[in-house]
Amino acid sequence: MKSNSIIKRVLGAVCIPIITFLIIFIICQSRGIALFDSKSHWIIFLRAVASVMLTTFALSINLNSGRFDFSIGAISLLSSVISAQICIKLGLPVVVMLLISIAVGMLLGLISGTIYVITKLPPIIVSLGVTLLYEGIAFAITAGYGVSFVTNYELTSFPSIRNYLLVIVIALALIILIFDYTSFGYKYRSLLSGQKVSINTGIKEIPNALGCYIIAGGLMGVVGVISSTNTGTIQMSLNFGSIGVMFTAFLPMFIGGFVGRFCNEKIGYLIGAITTAFISLAYARLKVDSSVQQIITAVILVCFLIYLNNEKKIFKFKKTKKE
Amino acid sequence: MKKVLSLLLCIALCFTMLVGCGGTTNGDKDSDTKAETQAETQAETQAAETKEADVATEADVETEADNGIDMSETVKIGVLVADVTTAEALAFRSYYTQYIQNQYNVEFVYSDALKDSADEKSAIDTFITNNCKAIISFSSFDRMAQIDQCAKAKVYYAVATGTLTDEEYEKVKTNEYYVGAIGPSLDIEYQTGYDMAKYYLDKGVKNFAIFGGAVPYYTDMHIYRVAGMLAAMADATGADYQGAKGPAIVGKIYETADVKTGSIGDVNILGYVGGYDMDDAWFGKIAEVAQTSGLEMILAVGNGSDFFGTAVNGTDVKIASVDAYADSYGAAMDAGILDYMAGKFSASIGPIFAITYSAALGAPIRDNDGNAVALGQGYWVATSPEQFKEYYSVDNSLDAPAYDKADLDTLIGSDYATLEKFVAAYTFDEIK
Repeated sequence: MKSNSIIKRVLGAVCIPIITFLIIFIICQSRGIALFDSKSHWIIFLRAVASVMLTTFALSINLNSGRFDFSIGAISLLSSVISAQICIKLGLPVVVMLLISIAVGMLLGLISGTIYVITKLPPIIVSLGVTLLYEGIAFAITAGYGVSFVTNYELTSFPSIRNYLLVIVIALALIILIFDYTSFGYKYRSLLSGQKVSINTGIKEIPNALGCYIIAGGLMGVVGVISSTNTGTIQMSLNFGSIGVMFTAFLPMFIGGFVGRFCNEKIGYLIGAITTAFISLAYARLKVDSSVQQIITAVILVCFLIYLNNEKKIFKFKKTKKE
Repeated sequence: MKKVLSLLLCIALCFTMLVGCGGTTNGDKDSDTKAETQAETQAETQAAETKEADVATEADVETEADNGIDMSETVKIGVLVADVTTAEALAFRSYYTQYIQNQYNVEFVYSDALKDSADEKSAIDTFITNNCKAIISFSSFDRMAQIDQCAKAKVYYAVATGTLTDEEYEKVKTNEYYVGAIGPSLDIEYQTGYDMAKYYLDKGVKNFAIFGGAVPYYTDMHIYRVAGMLAAMADATGADYQGAKGPAIVGKIYETADVKTGSIGDVNILGYVGGYDMDDAWFGKIAEVAQTSGLEMILAVGNGSDFFGTAVNGTDVKIASVDAYADSYGAAMDAGILDYMAGKFSASIGPIFAITYSAALGAPIRDNDGNAVALGQGYWVATSPEQFKEYYSVDNSLDAPAYDKADLDTLIGSDYATLEKFVAAYTFDEIK
């Protein structure tokens, strides 16, 4: 009975990426293309997994608590700009760039969270303002030119299978540790399930919210390093241009939410990121036009949401039919 | 406390918007394109910000040209920009706001980044309410609508770094408020791509990849550049591209907004990437193409080394680009990643300013038939780090730019023949 339950949970957790992989595998095979043909394909895949997983964590931490944070893309942008500028000027290695970026991201997250808790304005409004603020600062720091370190082989050495795997494993372990095995995580989950009751029991909401913003900022600092070291350039964004980063996290977040009923929700986000990374790699290998990509991604997202919203009805219908 | 912080937040946001739109120059001005009220407020703020610069300007600039044109009144010129963050756009902006504005009695009012023709319309409305006498446009979502709107408001309009299509020009060439266009014509764009590919074909390169930039979005200049590249390959091998040769290739690309990989004679197009998606899949495609076995050259219609630079690490693949003279490209050339640069020079927008200013001062320059100006202007091509440095140092100078005041003075209030001769001599050696 117990083993049946474990099998059911494992199957439930891995069914989406496996089905996605099989569909993509069949399409690629029919066109004579191997999905993973070289080391660079693994790098592309793992980079997508790492950046999407971290963005999903960063988004979901606050979104699950009802705080919609548009500024995560701007935090990623500004933290990577500052860390890259420092490392270029001082000739520091990429590991230091990563650490600076995390620290700056955490600080930016703290500022964002502080503005929210002090002003008590709706988080969506605060995050839009903060987005403009951080985009403007990044623009001013670089005089609008962005940052280019294409020829800095030390900083562009980050993309590798080992580094991306390390990022994925460490980030996942830390997030599970913080949110599932610390008093901070306990309070966070308690606030999620009932804010009023939790506050009445003595849990302080403000430090918890600030903590969430700091963690989300740190995660986006890593995302900034992943994306900037991939190309060796950081292009500037203005007028909410950085918000797009956030949208990459929606599909994996919904997938993670679904998979979360079979396993830890954080692992669910990783599985969601793996699923979207398969799709991204398939787009690259099959050379799918961007317009077609957008249509496919939107259709997948809508279908998934339709399923989630009507899941009970579907099962009820099946049950009625059986009877 | 809460109110104070809310107020501080609002001030910070306003400041950020100004920083984001305004660059770093104290002589720079921007305008919000969204609402008239915002524009008025912003104009007041900008006026205060630039007071110091204006005082200096008024003390230094001449109030009368050699040919007797009255230049005593400050002329406001609106500048429409679709792009505010590329090296090219920033270099152009510096030239206008940090050089031209300090030399002439003019005030530039910049738009925000424009996303579509509705934004263009809104920005022009703002310029009109800001009492701009002329508009110089770097934005091409709907040129004809822009010209129509300016003409109705009796505001002069000019196209910078581009030209109209022949059909568009025929429709507006007699419009007195359409000053004209000076920039790389589509023929020049075609030739730029052709020359780039031919440079490597002559060296015996056989295996190419192409970065098509905005070809998927049907952007004319990028389509013509790619067509030129393919035409050079067809000419070099005596073969054809999809059944077409020469300029007919342009039509082939327009059919699909795509470039087919494969062979043109014994020359191979091993990979092609278009668009600016900048997502994981797109960067995946970039890496795929750059790592293609046997690849020798990547011909890019846009900023190739920015996108392919790290992807070609550890290979012998070189990149050729069409863009502007920016610091990062110099570093890429020094590192041997970028091998060829056809770049716009920032002062190339000097002549279009001169004729627009001239028109606003009541001395319009028309061609011999009384039509608006339509002149082509090409690129500076650097094929070595030394050459790049030489071009960059001139292009980057705000003390002695490629076209300085003495050069532009010869155009204000001049005739078409003088202008035509001036613009035609655009190469680095001719200018310096």
